[in-house]
Amino acid sequence: MGNWERLVWNQRDVLLAGLGVTIEVCAIAFAAAILGGLLLCLTRLYVAPLRPVAIFLIEFFRDTPIFVQLMWVAYVWPEVFGFPNTFFNAGWLALGLQSSGYLAETFRAGIEAVPPGQRDAAFSAGMSQTQTFSRIVMPQVVLSSAPSIVNQFTVIVKSSTLISVITVPDLMSQSQKLVNVWYEPIEILTATAALYIAFVFLISLAGKYLADRLRHRYGLAAS
Amino acid sequence: MSDALKQSLDLSMFWEYRAILLQGLIFNALVFLCAASVALSVGLGAALMRINRFWPMRWIGTLHVEVFRNAPDYIMLVWVHFVLPLLIGMLIRRRVEFHPFVSAVIALGFVYSGYFAEAFRAGIQAIPQGNLDAGRAFGMSERLILWRITLPQVVRRMLPEALNLFISMFKATTIVSLIAVPDLMYNVSMVIAQEMRPLPLYTGAALTYFLIIFLLSVGVRHFSERWRRKILA
Repeated sequence: MGNWERLVWNQRDVLLAGLGVTIEVCAIAFAAAILGGLLLCLTRLYVAPLRPVAIFLIEFFRDTPIFVQLMWVAYVWPEVFGFPNTFFNAGWLALGLQSSGYLAETFRAGIEAVPPGQRDAAFSAGMSQTQTFSRIVMPQVVLSSAPSIVNQFTVIVKSSTLISVITVPDLMSQSQKLVNVWYEPIEILTATAALYIAFVFLISLAGKYLADRLRHRYGLAAS
Repeated sequence: MSDALKQSLDLSMFWEYRAILLQGLIFNALVFLCAASVALSVGLGAALMRINRFWPMRWIGTLHVEVFRNAPDYIMLVWVHFVLPLLIGMLIRRRVEFHPFVSAVIALGFVYSGYFAEAFRAGIQAIPQGNLDAGRAFGMSERLILWRITLPQVVRRMLPEALNLFISMFKATTIVSLIAVPDLMYNVSMVIAQEMRPLPLYTGAALTYFLIIFLLSVGVRHFSERWRRKILA
């Protein structure tokens, strides 16, 4: 147990700093994914001329492995688009892009599940297009897709381990630094793995709790 | 700026190295095939443990599923490659080292076994009790019931989900380059180190993977829809 104290507990500041970066990147990526997903989904559904573009982007983000996408965004985008200028930005951008593709499809399923009669009813009650969307459609979409949205966050956290490859100092990269200093991978890597598993487990537990509560409160069907 | 765009869309360099890149892709496929068989068999084992009569078995099965479903695949890959050989070495008092390919197969196989276990369990629990009772009434043993009644139905029911899991798994094989399995991404970075031209090569890799996985998932979507209609009919 002495080793655990020396290698893990005494290094907790380094590991926690890494965890902080992981949480920061994931939070930004998650926000970007929700915004991007919404944008892609609405473009796909309601902006007819841009529809093929939106479909292509959604498919491209979903069907390219995250590691490949990360390297592509980190090394090709800065030259071509002049952005992202740091690896930190490249990290959350790549994670966000991939999840935005998945979330766009989640939102679309949610929007298409709202019965058209409700929209007609809202129109005949004198609501505008925007009002109908924000007051009738969107609240139901948020409720019904809440579990998938939380699930997408766990996917982001899991994929975020890869940003250590482009030298973002996240938990994974901090623990690999410690391994390179001490040459004792057993304790450090096991602790890191346990930390990640516990973190992702807690998020999905919170997601399940949220889904149950929503179902109880609003009588939604299980999804 | 448009020069950079032109450069990244000029895939002639990617094409020039097609032989070595194709070799890499074959490694992706090999890792995928081996890891998929590990995931299927370990997943089935874990699912059977989760529905076992004895609670310690159930508990182990649940632990297995929760650990591997919540584990990032990259940390598992690193852990299996750098920690597991040391632990085994301590146990048998001999120096053990894993070939990167072996580590990749074990890590991906076990991570995805968690997902497959859940798919199997959902399928098994959806079998009507009457089917099992009928089997018992015919004097079939529990094992025979599993192989002749339960599993054939489970496989049919879980096929669409399993195909989606296979696609995720294929995507995950790209990270094995990080422990030096010579897959497509690994060869791409080798060529980049030599030629110093990341733009066309990373773009080419992204497009290649996109095309393969896009075609696979379109195929799976098409197949699943037809399959569901056939099963439900």
